[in-house]
Amino acid sequence: MDYIWQGLQQAAVLIFTLDPETYSAVITTLKVTFTSITLSVIIGVPLGFLLGYFNFPGKKQLRMVVDTLLAIPTVVVGLLVYAFISRRGPLGWTNLLYTVPGIAIAQVFLILPIVISLTATAIEGLDRRLRPTLRSLGAGRVQLALTSLHEARFAVLIAVITAYGRAISEVGIAMMIGGNIKWYTRTMTTAITLETGKGQFSMGIALGVILLLIVFLLNSALVLLRRRTT
Amino acid sequence: MSEPLYRVEGLRYSYGKHFDLDVPELVIEHGESLGIVGPNGSGKSTLLNLLAFIDAPDAGTIYFEGVPSGPESLEARRSVTMLLQVSYLLKRTVFENVAYGLRLRGEMQDASERVREALSWVGLSPDKFARRMWHELSGGEAQRVALASRLVLRPKVLVLDEPTASVDRQSSYLIKDAIDRCRRMFNTSLIIVSHDYLWLNTVTDKLVRMEEGRLVEYVAGNVIHGPWEETGERLFAKRLSDGQVIVSARGTSLQSSAILNPSTITVALEPPKNESALNILKGRILNMSDEVSTENVLVEVVVAQIHLNVRVTKSSAVRLQLVPGKEVWVVFKATSLQWI
Repeated sequence: MDYIWQGLQQAAVLIFTLDPETYSAVITTLKVTFTSITLSVIIGVPLGFLLGYFNFPGKKQLRMVVDTLLAIPTVVVGLLVYAFISRRGPLGWTNLLYTVPGIAIAQVFLILPIVISLTATAIEGLDRRLRPTLRSLGAGRVQLALTSLHEARFAVLIAVITAYGRAISEVGIAMMIGGNIKWYTRTMTTAITLETGKGQFSMGIALGVILLLIVFLLNSALVLLRRRTT
Repeated sequence: MSEPLYRVEGLRYSYGKHFDLDVPELVIEHGESLGIVGPNGSGKSTLLNLLAFIDAPDAGTIYFEGVPSGPESLEARRSVTMLLQVSYLLKRTVFENVAYGLRLRGEMQDASERVREALSWVGLSPDKFARRMWHELSGGEAQRVALASRLVLRPKVLVLDEPTASVDRQSSYLIKDAIDRCRRMFNTSLIIVSHDYLWLNTVTDKLVRMEEGRLVEYVAGNVIHGPWEETGERLFAKRLSDGQVIVSARGTSLQSSAILNPSTITVALEPPKNESALNILKGRILNMSDEVSTENVLVEVVVAQIHLNVRVTKSSAVRLQLVPGKEVWVVFKATSLQWI
C-alpha cells in the first residue's frame, strides 16, 4: 500500500509545482479534444438536426447505423484511421500519422455519432405543442426550424458535453494515431497507460486526478443542463 | 368587408379509420364570437387547428376574407392566432415569449411598450413578470403569458382551445377580461372551445355543437342521462342521490338521455303551490353569469348530483335576489325534457 500513498504524495507535488511533463500531456489533451469537439459540433449538430427534424425514406435505417456507431470501440476507429493515414494508406500524403491533428480527426469519427444521435434525439424529444405554438404565432418554415433548434439548445449542449467526455477519456485512438510521443502527442490517457506500465504511479495518479476533475466539471454541467431541459 | 371572415366549404379531415371531421358549410362573420361545445373526441380541437391554419384539411376549402387559405398562407396564418389548451412557453423570459410573434413580423420598434401593455391586459405586472424565466411561473400565469403573446399581435381572429381548463377561477375571469378588451379594441373575432358552459356564455354570442365530427345546431340545454325507471302512467323517473325524483314523459329507452332547455325551467324561493309541473326540486345556486347573446342571466343550480343551468331574466334575478349559495327550487314540466 505504501507505493500508492507515495504515488499520491508525489502526484500532489507534480500538480502544484506545475511539472512541465505532466502539464504537457494536459495541454496536448486539451488541444486534441478542443479540435475534435469543435469539428464534431460543426458537422454533427446540423446533421443531427436534419435527422431529428425531417421525415424521409430510410430515416429509421440511417438512425440505426448512427446509433450502432455510438458503441464503436476506440481501437477500431484507431485501426481504420491508421490504415488510411499511414504512409501506405490512401491518405498517407497528408502526414497526419503521429500528429495532434491526426488524433483530433480520428476522434471526430469516434464522437461524431454521439453528437448526431443525441442531437437528433433532442430534436425528436421537443414538446409536441412547440410546432403548433410556433405556427400559430406566425412562424415560417425557416423560423420554425431555427426556433426548434434554439428550444433544444440545452439538450444539444448535453450531447456536446457527453461527446467531449468520450473524447477526453479515450485512449485507443490517442495511442494508435498519436504514438504517445513525449512532449508532442502524449495525452493524459496515454501518459497514464505508459507510466503505469513503467511502475511510475505518481504522474499517472496526478494525471488521473486532473482527468477526474475535468470529468467531474463536465458532469456538473450536465446535471445543471438536465434541470434546464425539464 | 363584403366577404365573411371565414367561409368553409366541404371541409373534411380524417384520423385513420376511426374519425372523420365533416363540415360541409360554416360561415363566421367579422367580429363574431363563436363558441363550440361538444363531448371529448367530437372533433372540436381538430376544427380549431384547421381554422387556425395549423393543419391542412384532407378535402374542402377555407376561404379567409374571400381568399382560399391554408397552412402555407403566411398572411392568413399571421391574422389568426391560437391558444392551446395547455399552452407551451418558449424556454426564454416572459418578455421574450410575448415579443416572439412581434419579432417574427419585424415589429420590434415599439415591442417593449406593446409587451408591457399585453401583460397588463392579462393581469400580470410587467415589472414583476417581464424578466421571469418560463419555469418560474404557475400554470395559470403561464396560460396568461401565452394569451398575452397572442393579444400583443392584435389578431383578426383569436382561437382558444379550452382556455380555462387548466386554470383557477380567478385566472379564467382575467382571461375573459383580456379577451373582451381585445375584441373591443381590435374588433377581434373569437372562436372558442370550452366545456365551461357558463364561462363560454359570457364571451360568445353564438354557440354551435360538435357531435362525432359534425357541426349540429346548438340546442342550449342540460343533458340528463339515464338510467330511468318506469313509473305509472307513461312516465319515466330518475331517482337522485338525495331521494328527489326527476319525472319525464316516457322515452324510447330506459338508458336514454334527455335535454332540458334552460328557458323551460323556472326558479322559485319557496316550493310553488297549485303548480301543474311535476318537477319541483330543491337545489343550491353554484354559479351565475351574464349571457352575452340574450342579456339574460344563466344560473347554475346543483340538485343532488346534477347541475342544471337555468335561464332567468336580469330583472327576475334581481327581484329574487339570486346569489351563489342560495337555496332555491327549480320547477319544470315532465314534457320539457326532450329525448335524444
